[in-house]
Amino acid sequence: MKSNVVGLIYTGDRIEDLRDLIRIRSVAALPMLGRYRLIDFLLSNMIHSGVQNVGIIMQGNYHSLMDHIGSGREWDLHGKRSGLTILPPHTSTVRGGVYEGMLDALYANLNFLRRSTERYILVTDSYLLYRVQYDDVCKQHIESKADITLLYTKDRTVRRNGWGRYLDINGDNIVQSMEFDPIIPHYPNTYMGAFLIRREMLIDLLDRAVAAGMHHFTRELLVQMLQERLYKICGYECPGDIWSIDSIQAYYQANMAFLDTRVRTQLFNDKQPIWTKLRDEMPARYTDTAKVVNSLVADGCVIEGTVENSILFRSVVVKPGAVIRNCIVMQDALINRDAEIDGCILDKQTTVREGTRMIAPREYPVVVGKNLTI
Amino acid sequence: MYRKKSCVAMLLAGGQGSRLGILTRHVAKPAVPFGGKYRIIDFPLSNCVNSGIDVVGVLTQYRPLELNAYIGSGAPWDLDVNSGGVYVLPPYHTGKTGEWYRGTANSIYQNLEFAKQYNPDYVLVLSGDHIYKMDYAEMIAHHVKHNAAATIAVRQVPWEEASRFGIMNTDENNNIIEFEEKPANPKSNNASMGVYVFSFDKLCSYLEADEQDPESSNDFGKNIIPAMLNAGECMTAYTFNDYWKDVGTIESLWDANMDLLKDPVPVDLRDREWRIYARNVGSPPHYVAEGGSVIDSLITEGCQIMGSVTHSVLSTNAIVEEGAVVIDSVLMPGARIGKGAVIRRAIVAENAVIGEGCVVGEEEGDIAVVGSNTSLKAGEFVAAGQQVGE
Repeated sequence: MKSNVVGLIYTGDRIEDLRDLIRIRSVAALPMLGRYRLIDFLLSNMIHSGVQNVGIIMQGNYHSLMDHIGSGREWDLHGKRSGLTILPPHTSTVRGGVYEGMLDALYANLNFLRRSTERYILVTDSYLLYRVQYDDVCKQHIESKADITLLYTKDRTVRRNGWGRYLDINGDNIVQSMEFDPIIPHYPNTYMGAFLIRREMLIDLLDRAVAAGMHHFTRELLVQMLQERLYKICGYECPGDIWSIDSIQAYYQANMAFLDTRVRTQLFNDKQPIWTKLRDEMPARYTDTAKVVNSLVADGCVIEGTVENSILFRSVVVKPGAVIRNCIVMQDALINRDAEIDGCILDKQTTVREGTRMIAPREYPVVVGKNLTI
Repeated sequence: MYRKKSCVAMLLAGGQGSRLGILTRHVAKPAVPFGGKYRIIDFPLSNCVNSGIDVVGVLTQYRPLELNAYIGSGAPWDLDVNSGGVYVLPPYHTGKTGEWYRGTANSIYQNLEFAKQYNPDYVLVLSGDHIYKMDYAEMIAHHVKHNAAATIAVRQVPWEEASRFGIMNTDENNNIIEFEEKPANPKSNNASMGVYVFSFDKLCSYLEADEQDPESSNDFGKNIIPAMLNAGECMTAYTFNDYWKDVGTIESLWDANMDLLKDPVPVDLRDREWRIYARNVGSPPHYVAEGGSVIDSLITEGCQIMGSVTHSVLSTNAIVEEGAVVIDSVLMPGARIGKGAVIRRAIVAENAVIGEGCVVGEEEGDIAVVGSNTSLKAGEFVAAGQQVGE
């Protein structure tokens, strides 16, 4: 069935606390859970909600994201009537180049908004990992006759002192006000950076906001709209687990949470698979010296050593005598004989030399950057 | 108008593969799962694209549904291209006539129109029941160099097994002088691999002549190759001594899976230069639980291992529950092994569910098989060599 929602993913968030992990990639391209990137979960939310037309606003180091998305084929987003539109920065247009905020990005891509034919648009940030049916959001949006519907969660694990956006929502589900980066959040509802709005209305709002000199959608436009009280702004509470990937610790904890089978089965199910770029690796090979417990292991790995409480991405090689505990090891990493690593995040194509020992406290995982040898 | 292709591949996938017993009761042999995440047909298809051949006709007839769905648009093998691609070719009606494929040669004959669209110089004929990595481009180069009418890939098999194969007797220049199908007293140990290159015009004329012969069984081995030899055509043997395994029987299918666990592995699927492509179902990485154990095995996406797995090949989404033991076995996609069950020297087919405490297979003897979508009640016993299921 034809969807009445077009999706738009904004990947321009720079979250400084992710440090080395985003030096070479956007947050949306962060490798997650052994074979995915963060954006895969958003794209899967879209396609499993029937959204067939998706734009991705690129910013900063978007090479790895482009490389990952390709033609959108893996997500069945390579059609003629709809599909995926990559929206790289325009350097020559008004508000092009480096966006100061999401509002700039939306305005620079007005053509995408105008050209789409769907009645509604779902705009989202890209640093959250969660599962939701956007068609349910749209249903509530229409039933409640809202002008804008904001997605929020009551999950306390995504609250941060001094960071984030928190909503005051009354009993009628109307958003009363918003706190922006409060030192201590007062409202119990965390805004998830995703909203649904009538497409024509968004175009109109953008036009006026830009004329008023605004750059930021939430901090400037949305806050002003909440104060003016001319629009009906509703909340939609997202059920289920949610992870905010806003620091190295949060990244580490989100990945590790999926060693819990309950968490895993909630996100992954046969009916709504999470699609991702394929590498056509062979199944993982365990030799007779392998010892693996409580770990997620992707295809292409060759395991001759010990792996505990860890996540191994595709084609990681663990030599005999090597011990990996409480680690996230990204693709093509090589852990040589008798090395011991604990509490580390190894980026892609890292090498751990024979006999190297590196042990970090789990509260402060150590990141080893892409291509490095330790 | 189609662009001319130097070579078009025709993949014979119409046979039932009845020697695979219960495993091919509901699917055609080329669609049988292999090696954790592959199906048998992934090997010839991947060999084709890796050899630069991008037109492949797949001749199907027996239970084609799953095979058709698996091939789909051909995208997993990069065969969804404008100028070629993979085409599933079932038998069809032409108005006046229409019939099932009567033999391997007849199936190609009925699809000569398909090949003619590409005006090829050569046709590569493949079968859908072998596991091997082969550069067909080298074989075609050999064919061109010898200016042959047909080139047949051969490999040296142990003398004691030679009488199970079609044997090519060659002269000192590697020209084939005689072909014997399963000879009692073989004169050579050069066995045909079922991989042929024909010059297209020669193939057309021999297939057309063969159709005129009501006595013919329309088979490449029995009719076409002997007819070409009798007529004195230039027939060369192309020797291929890398890994090649016929997986036409339960025993050989199990063997070929176990070959992937050898060290060094006789057929390396990690080879980046010669990828074997497969359709992906989008499962998460596999999980080995606290208390689970895996040694000497191949495990792929979607598997969950709470029990113990030794020297086995587990396919996509296979589950081994707490206390279950899997040894020397092959679990096909979606197979589920209940708590405390013991699986030994067995093949558990797609989506089979083994109840708690079942015992399937034995330490010695033939391979036990549980068919696809079969459920075993708790405590059932399947003896060595036994096949259970619909």
